[in-house]
Amino acid sequence: MLEDQPKTFQVDARRRLLLLGGSVSLLFSLLGGRLFYLQLLKGGTYRDMADDNRISLQLLPASRGRIFDRDQRLLVENNPDFQLVIIPELAIQQLRKPEKGGNGLLRLLELLTPLLQLEEKEIQAILKQASRQRAFLPLTIRTHLTWEELSLIETRIHALPGVTIEAQPSRHYLMGTLASHAIGYMGEVTESDQNHFPDIDFRPGDLVGRSGVERSMEPRLRGMDGLRELEVNAYGRQVRELRRTLPHPGQDITLTLDMDLQQEAERALAESAGGTGALVLMRPNSGELLVMASQPTYDPNKFISGFLPNEWKQLIQDPSRPLTNKAIQGQYPPGSTFKMVVVLAALRLGKLSENDTVYCPGYTTRQDHRFYCWKLRGHGAISLTQAIAQSCDVFFYELADRVGIDGIHQQALRLGLGTLSGIDLEGERPGLMPSRQWKRRVHKAGWYPGETLITAIGQGYVLSTPMQLAVMVSAIANGGAVYRPFLVKPEEKNQHHPPTKGPAPLWHNHFRAEHIALVHQGMEEVVHGVMGTARTSKLEGVRMAGKTGTSQVARHRRTQSGTLLHSTNRRLKDHAMFVGYAPADKPEIAVAVIVEHGGGGGSNAAPVAKRVMDLYFAKQKGETMPPLPTSETAAPATEPADAEQSSQTTDPH
Amino acid sequence: MSAPIKHVDQETSPPIQPADPRADQRGQRTTPVGGLLSIDGTTTLGWRERWQRFPWSLLALLLITSALGLVVLYSAVGGYTGQQETSNIQYLLRQSGRFGIGLVLMFVVAFAGSERVYRRYAYLAYGISLALLVAVFLAGSISMGARRWLDVGFMRIQPSELMKVTLVLALARYYHDRAVVVGFGWRDLGIPLLLVAMPLALILKQPDLGTGITMAAVGMVVIVVAGLSWRMILLSLTLLLAALPVAWGALHDYQRQRIYTLFAPERDPLGSGYHIIQSKIAVGSGGLLGKGFMAGSQSHLDFLPERHTDFIFSVLAEEWGFVGCITLMILYMLITFRGLLIASMAHHRFGLLTAVGFITLFAFQVIINIGMVIGLLPVVGIPLPLISYGGSSLITLLFSMGLIAHVGIYSKHHGRTI
Repeated sequence: MLEDQPKTFQVDARRRLLLLGGSVSLLFSLLGGRLFYLQLLKGGTYRDMADDNRISLQLLPASRGRIFDRDQRLLVENNPDFQLVIIPELAIQQLRKPEKGGNGLLRLLELLTPLLQLEEKEIQAILKQASRQRAFLPLTIRTHLTWEELSLIETRIHALPGVTIEAQPSRHYLMGTLASHAIGYMGEVTESDQNHFPDIDFRPGDLVGRSGVERSMEPRLRGMDGLRELEVNAYGRQVRELRRTLPHPGQDITLTLDMDLQQEAERALAESAGGTGALVLMRPNSGELLVMASQPTYDPNKFISGFLPNEWKQLIQDPSRPLTNKAIQGQYPPGSTFKMVVVLAALRLGKLSENDTVYCPGYTTRQDHRFYCWKLRGHGAISLTQAIAQSCDVFFYELADRVGIDGIHQQALRLGLGTLSGIDLEGERPGLMPSRQWKRRVHKAGWYPGETLITAIGQGYVLSTPMQLAVMVSAIANGGAVYRPFLVKPEEKNQHHPPTKGPAPLWHNHFRAEHIALVHQGMEEVVHGVMGTARTSKLEGVRMAGKTGTSQVARHRRTQSGTLLHSTNRRLKDHAMFVGYAPADKPEIAVAVIVEHGGGGGSNAAPVAKRVMDLYFAKQKGETMPPLPTSETAAPATEPADAEQSSQTTDPH
Repeated sequence: MSAPIKHVDQETSPPIQPADPRADQRGQRTTPVGGLLSIDGTTTLGWRERWQRFPWSLLALLLITSALGLVVLYSAVGGYTGQQETSNIQYLLRQSGRFGIGLVLMFVVAFAGSERVYRRYAYLAYGISLALLVAVFLAGSISMGARRWLDVGFMRIQPSELMKVTLVLALARYYHDRAVVVGFGWRDLGIPLLLVAMPLALILKQPDLGTGITMAAVGMVVIVVAGLSWRMILLSLTLLLAALPVAWGALHDYQRQRIYTLFAPERDPLGSGYHIIQSKIAVGSGGLLGKGFMAGSQSHLDFLPERHTDFIFSVLAEEWGFVGCITLMILYMLITFRGLLIASMAHHRFGLLTAVGFITLFAFQVIINIGMVIGLLPVVGIPLPLISYGGSSLITLLFSMGLIAHVGIYSKHHGRTI
């Protein structure tokens, strides 16, 4: 090379060329190394990122299971919530006005204004939103379209380019407030909900059951959402659908509740002296609930459509606590309904025999303290059955001495008091069944004998829920078996061979037949005896056994002679209680009622039970029932338009 | 060596008797060298000879690379589902047409004239290019924030492309004429630096950082190969490092932004970092074998910017994977080494330096473009030679390849004497 050049230059040039070639090789291998790193070492990561780029997921919501009552009447369903959606691009393309500056979207909104009563402010908001997003992405103009608006738009849809109606499933409670505590309501999912249901994969903004069956049956009611995997380009426009996973709808659920009886119970409670309270109607031989009523109620539809600010404030500040399910969350002193527990304890321990009588002078004295019977004149010499029938307190003061708190405590627990009943709902309260240990632990004090006396008449520390009382009276009615109450029919695993056997009891008290017969006899006397405390509430044609109770809310004030001074404050008035079962000889149903601040149990709670039980037996005989309310008659919606929509949607054409 | 050119360093040349006294009178240099080579500056080979000496292997490599480029381009301009087939073909035809024009130009340049024809007109061409650059500076049309083009009625020309070629020619001419000793210093650096600096200033003013950097790099390599002393090389490297902060201050804001985002593209994923991030995703997601022809999601779903021009390598990387990338890079290296081989066999300094300059121009653009696409270098607007869609850079490239071929024709050919 370079033959015309000096040798030194030739050598040097060759050296420099080699250097150049080497540098180029070095740089190329640097690039190669980088490509090796990006494509082979990090290839998976970048592949994921590319997929993230191109794949957009669209949720296909699964419909939630419906809820039926025991007669397969639909209680809760999913209604389409109609939404008006526009795709601005189509409007802009097809409504371009001949004159310059014509805005297709604005023109479309002008066309929609008379149909939807759009306000200027709304139009401005829509235009602003449209200017912020790409024109081919849908824009939701209105949700909760009424049927009137819907039909107005549907008939003109061809003149409204870019307008589509989309239906979103929305929970609808057909019965309105009826059985609202059993059914429950829904709310937007929170972190604590996610922790509560770790197996469910919630998405932000999902609705989740907040109470009632909606909550406890969440895993069954909730389906599996489907997914559409869309391929989109860099601007978000859909290119094609890659995959579609169909949603799995949630399971329908059938309740054991009877809406006719439920309605009657809620009405009876509302019309009772107190106006608020709870009623539980249960099958004593299985724990199956026919009624679980709590007054006042609320409208679960409101949790879907939204509350007005003052409506919500009213609801949560209402002193009668409409959101509380008093049947399982209300804890009340059981009062005289507790007396059977004491009798059974005494009989079991051999501290009482059939022919024992106690003399009741109207009071008894312990350590210079007078314990009064409700009947100041006294019952005189009174037998076991009459003591139950007339609810003589002095008789039970005497039994308290004989049995002692430990015996009472043990028997009460065996009948399901002071422990959770295990009902298939959340939020149940355990009540309270005091014992020596309990008092030492909580109050750091010893047990006083006087406390046994007031415990024996269901006062003092003892607290129970109406559900526990229903379990207790069921166990007494069926001879001692304690069942777990339930209001959701069990899943039928095999439809061809439905289970013939009912549920097994949690445990059995194994009362001796002669003991339980004495209690039954006393309870029957309550209703059918001449002196019975509930003698005014006999059922039509069916014999009922029961026990009234008057649960003291505040310490009674008495005059020197012992006469009761009635408080004028309604909040301090006694709760009226009644437990019972019917028919007395072959119990089909057991009931527990509390009328808050209703006064005496015989005159205020027993009639409520009677109304519901009468209806039960009337229905058994095949009488036709009055129609059930739909949500709009039960709870007038604030927007009449909404009500109209729901009435049409419930109509199954 | 007895050339009439006055500043030839007589002392360094061996005393040679002119073979043909008349050659001197015609102003041509004669170089009879001890029987090995009977060719001199005046020699014009016959057509057959030139045809035989043409570096066909270089042409073959160029054709293979371009064919690969057209395949990638077809995918890069195409819609995902192929609904834009017609426009794909249009793009392809247009680019093939340009390649054809470039190829014709390459042959014309390679076969044209005598051995010294380009040496003679090197300064003239440089002067015209510089004048055009000044014209651009004064009256160029602005497009996308830069004043790069000159509207001459029927077409737009980009004088900076021309300048890249003529600068190499001018530098080669200078060192050829000076016939400097190895290891020159300041004395023979001044004028070449001026030759580089004048167009560089004008081009950076446009602004066109990519072309500016390319030109500076090519000029530097030519000067180094011409025999700049190692001391000077070391000194200038030191000066360059010292000057970096000053240069930083002189950069345009958007150019600085590109450098920022290079080192932390995630800082601004939707803004200036977007291009780099999306390009890296495209390249990385290609993996070993790629997603397949027309199946790159980054390319076809518009995530990749400038995918048929500056970022076309990402399309190749996504659809053909590591294997495709390495294949293309091997082709580029083969072209580079073939060019360097021609340079090393060049008959004289002008040939050596032009071949080195043009091959450096080529390799440098390849390295910068791939480096920026895979996130190693800042985004400067440099197309990928032979692959990117666009006419002026392709035609310039094939023109310079023609010049290399010309050097190849007039060089000692594998020990065979002319």
